[in-house]
Amino acid sequence: MEILQYALRKFITGIPLILGVTFISFLLMVYFGPDKTYELAGKNATPEQIAEIRHQLGYDRPFLVRYGEYLRELVTLDFGYSDSTGERVSHILERTIPISLALILPGFVLGNLLGIALALVAAHHRGRWLDKLIMGGSVVGMSISFLIVIIAFQIIFCSNYGLGWFPVRGWNVYDFWDYLRYVTVPTLATVFVALGYNTRFYRAVLVEELGRDHVRTARAFGAPPAEVLFKHVLKNAMIPIITRIMFSIPFVVVSGALLIESYFGIPGVGLVTYDAITTGDQPVLKAVVGLTAVLFVLVLILNDIFYKLVDPRVSLQ
Amino acid sequence: MPARLLILALALLLSACARGPDTDGLKIYRHSLGGAPSSLDPVQSATVYANHVVVNVYDTLYAYKYLKRPYELKPNLAAAMPEVSDDGLTYTIPIKKGVYFIDDPAFPGGKGREVTAADFVYSMKRHFDPKMRSQGAWLWAGRIEGLDAWKKAGAHYDQEVPGLRALDRYTIQIRLTRPYPQLIHTLAQGFSAIVPHEAVDYYGREFSVHPVGSGPFKLETFDSVRAVLVRNPKYRREPIDLAYEGYDPARHARYGIAGIEGKIPPLVDRLEIHFIKESLSRWNSFTKGDEIQYATIPKELLNEVLLQKQPKIVLRKRYADKYFMLAGLENGFVHTDFNMKDPAIGYNSDPERQKRNHALRCAIRYAFDWAERNRTFYNDMGFVFPGIIPPVVPEYDPDAPRDALEHNPDKGRRLLAENGWTADNLPTLTFGGVASVDSRQMFEQFRGWLLKIGYPREKVQFDSYASFGDYNRAVKQAKVMIIGMGWGLDYPDAQNTLQLFYGPNASPGSNASNFNDPEYNRLYEISSVMQPSPERTRLYRKMNRIVLDACVTISGLSRRNIYLWHKNVISYPDQSIVGGFHLKYVDVK
Amino acid sequence: MSATAAPAARPVSESLWGKAWYKFRRDRFGMAGLAVVLVYLVIALGVWLGLWGQHWSSVEGPMWAPPGPDYWLGTNIIGQDIFERAIYSTKTAFEVGLVVAVLSTALGGVLGALAGYWSNRWPDELILWLMGVLDAIPFYLFVAAIAFALQDNPYAMHIAMIATFWTTTARLVRGEVIKLKNFEFVEAARAIGLPQRLIIFRHILPNTFHILLVQATIVFVSAIKSEVILSFLGLGVKDGVSWGVMIAESTQEVQAGHFSNFVTASAFLFVLVMAFNLFSDALQDALDPRKVSA
Repeated sequence: MEILQYALRKFITGIPLILGVTFISFLLMVYFGPDKTYELAGKNATPEQIAEIRHQLGYDRPFLVRYGEYLRELVTLDFGYSDSTGERVSHILERTIPISLALILPGFVLGNLLGIALALVAAHHRGRWLDKLIMGGSVVGMSISFLIVIIAFQIIFCSNYGLGWFPVRGWNVYDFWDYLRYVTVPTLATVFVALGYNTRFYRAVLVEELGRDHVRTARAFGAPPAEVLFKHVLKNAMIPIITRIMFSIPFVVVSGALLIESYFGIPGVGLVTYDAITTGDQPVLKAVVGLTAVLFVLVLILNDIFYKLVDPRVSLQ
Repeated sequence: MPARLLILALALLLSACARGPDTDGLKIYRHSLGGAPSSLDPVQSATVYANHVVVNVYDTLYAYKYLKRPYELKPNLAAAMPEVSDDGLTYTIPIKKGVYFIDDPAFPGGKGREVTAADFVYSMKRHFDPKMRSQGAWLWAGRIEGLDAWKKAGAHYDQEVPGLRALDRYTIQIRLTRPYPQLIHTLAQGFSAIVPHEAVDYYGREFSVHPVGSGPFKLETFDSVRAVLVRNPKYRREPIDLAYEGYDPARHARYGIAGIEGKIPPLVDRLEIHFIKESLSRWNSFTKGDEIQYATIPKELLNEVLLQKQPKIVLRKRYADKYFMLAGLENGFVHTDFNMKDPAIGYNSDPERQKRNHALRCAIRYAFDWAERNRTFYNDMGFVFPGIIPPVVPEYDPDAPRDALEHNPDKGRRLLAENGWTADNLPTLTFGGVASVDSRQMFEQFRGWLLKIGYPREKVQFDSYASFGDYNRAVKQAKVMIIGMGWGLDYPDAQNTLQLFYGPNASPGSNASNFNDPEYNRLYEISSVMQPSPERTRLYRKMNRIVLDACVTISGLSRRNIYLWHKNVISYPDQSIVGGFHLKYVDVK
Repeated sequence: MSATAAPAARPVSESLWGKAWYKFRRDRFGMAGLAVVLVYLVIALGVWLGLWGQHWSSVEGPMWAPPGPDYWLGTNIIGQDIFERAIYSTKTAFEVGLVVAVLSTALGGVLGALAGYWSNRWPDELILWLMGVLDAIPFYLFVAAIAFALQDNPYAMHIAMIATFWTTTARLVRGEVIKLKNFEFVEAARAIGLPQRLIIFRHILPNTFHILLVQATIVFVSAIKSEVILSFLGLGVKDGVSWGVMIAESTQEVQAGHFSNFVTASAFLFVLVMAFNLFSDALQDALDPRKVSA
């Protein structure tokens, strides 16, 4: 009960955040974003036509009026129609977000789990060659451009120049085996790239924990390494780890993985968002940004509740 | 909505019961394009990509013959070529009877009705209704009697337009304000496709992703990676007459095209058009074997795939065994313009400075090295020609003098010196371009050449724009000083490229250089109402010469495309002009 | 603080920094890392002073020349010397990477500490709000807008990057500080009446150095990689080249079988980042007051 009250209180304090995000984003979109007018104007537009199009797009109305409308749309979850394709924005999101989720989740989960595992190994052997090896691998992972990894994996695993085990493009997913076929290579690419960053970060956290007094005490009492690692170190290290994971979620969910979708031909929300940003499709952008903000606030609340559950010294005051 | 999202996600992940579309036994052809359409509404069908889909789900009055080159028009929904009055102002077009729209909930009872002349009138009127956000109105603006007035009067569809009438159920009459020799060409474009008002009213804004037409296919799905079309069972049955379509055994026999004689299009049951921007991904999908069946060769792999490039293009054996190949020049060209509205290099109120600016532009043109540009960015396969009349149009002059293409840094230096230009008083040149590796490299290459005519390095700069939309906007606001552009021909008539330098078409129109020469404008206006003839060709070439002498553009190069397709596909592909029209003739063995 | 057995004659200073230096010197990997970083720094300074790497933009060479006496690492597609470009990029890397890494980590550390110390009170709420807003805005949108707004400012790119990168550091520091402020040493500091400013900056913040160091190295790499995107958006190095740009160029080249551009840029980047990592690890160990010997 107390948690619910706390959550509610937090949500209300989260409203300024949503307002802040939407206001600043909208400001950016309107004054600094691409102008859809010229794309819709065609090859030989006249100044009158341009004025007409601006009126159609609603660009000539005062900023605050348009912002008020944006807030109303956010509350009713009705963002109108895309300025590019004319499809209802809610239809577009319903169609694409589940696909992006299904695409990214495995990579996200695996990337973090493997990162923690590798970091545990590295932290345990801190300072010795295994540690340096893992760190070297992480740096390689961090330095390689994601694009090169995608291209290389596509050639190696999917194309006929390589193994050809998986399809190159597409997302014809009608059962679980189709899903595995289409999601494997993108997952491999994502994990490969994320692993470097994840391992590096988690190792630092674990190393810090390993140095704590209670760990030294446990070792002195003869606790086996596994028990030391899992019971004493990992639990405390969970706070920064979970924080990091939780805060990557909103972007993973709503913004999608643009490069993967583009190269593997997967109709997810990443492509849609990127096109919206570069062509100035405001209805779609408003939806994506607004929903991301809302998700963000939810994550913040969950994160704070989590702190409370895990660390009894942290109070809900 | 969040609940629905969650359920959808779970369903997708766990479903073992959902089945895909039953494609056993169906003939499927998978085509690929280098970009995606945004809207499928004919009124917004401005790109080649949109056209490919639009001309397959809708009907246009006219189309281009499948195999005939140079391109030749033929009736499509029209029953015959139009009857034109002697003054060239009245066109009477009969349309075929018994053509039906597809079944759709927009119609009463869900059954598609017959297409009538009134539908054509309605479809054209939509271009002049501001609410429809037409991108094609420029083709007919000021040309059709009463249409612009109709728009000014509020665009009410029940009001008649005197120049655009349905004389009876199957006859259209168009009255022009002045002769428009290219009118029929415009009636073969996706813009002129015929739509039913019931669907526009029923679907509103979403009509652009829910097409209802009378074309050979109907749309099944459409998203950012592909469009899936299926055969339209109600499409009119017209057997293929290869001789009529321009079949020539010398050119077409090797592709097995003779096999489609007498068959009734569309020849496949399911047509998938995949939108793939990344050339390497497209190539991997193409070589996989069970994915797309048509692709262009990515620039990076040309040496890997081709055995030789000159004098004939030949594939390496392992590719020649599996794929058919067709090489052709694009219907368009790339060029670099100077913005004449910028007093630093263009028109200037001081006549002395204007003359010196002219010399400056010509000097910069001498610095440009077409051979090297062709080699670096177009694999030495582009076709370089002087001026703005590209090789694919009938009015092209293969004997035109090529002095405008000369790379001669010494002459450039001399020109600068003779006209009082020194390293101190040279203006800063700013190139505009999209933010991409290619644009940047093209700029750096050009800067390297400018250094050779004595241009100081700091005075050559690059202005990069985040996206093509931003760049386009800046160009249409006349803010870019040196503009790299490409133009795709809308129809095979040089008027389409000559209008790029017609004064009144200045920004925000298509005259990106804002060139305004009274003699050129005069010749343009005279020739624009002339039917094709040797006299008109002479005028066109004279205009080309004016543009070249003014050094307003560094032009041009037509890129060569190489199309490959799997050997079990019977096709003679084309990217534009015939473009999407060829897809209904594609057969799969 | 236990007494350490000092080798031979020189007494070891008892301060944190003195002992740290002593321990650091004995870590071979760390010294190697530092040495490499210094080499890069010298290269960058040389470029900046005009000693070498000045011909990175001249298109004199033949297309895709192989490595040889004329062009040590070959040329790229428009005939530019890859070696010159890689050298010049070192300067870019330091200008961008280092500046952004240091400033964003510092900013993140300070704001995160303040937020954590006064957690759940108004400074925390304000900083959290700011972090949330900045994080939730799509990166491309934010950066394109800054590109437009700060068009002619040479530091536009640095500002854009710092503005986006500080939030992760701040969030992590905040979490750590929330934990730390309940430790006894803080209670003790309060009990003896130390001003809050000192408690935050002299006692709590140093305990977050491990996070700050790691974040700095991560941001360094991210900055260099983001710089590519930003350059393309018109923000970044307007008139220059960086390893990121070279890698982007090489994406197409490797498919045609020319690897020199890609390998050069990646190797330069990798070596510097690796050196940085070794250096920062050794530094972290050296600064750890609980680790008495290396």
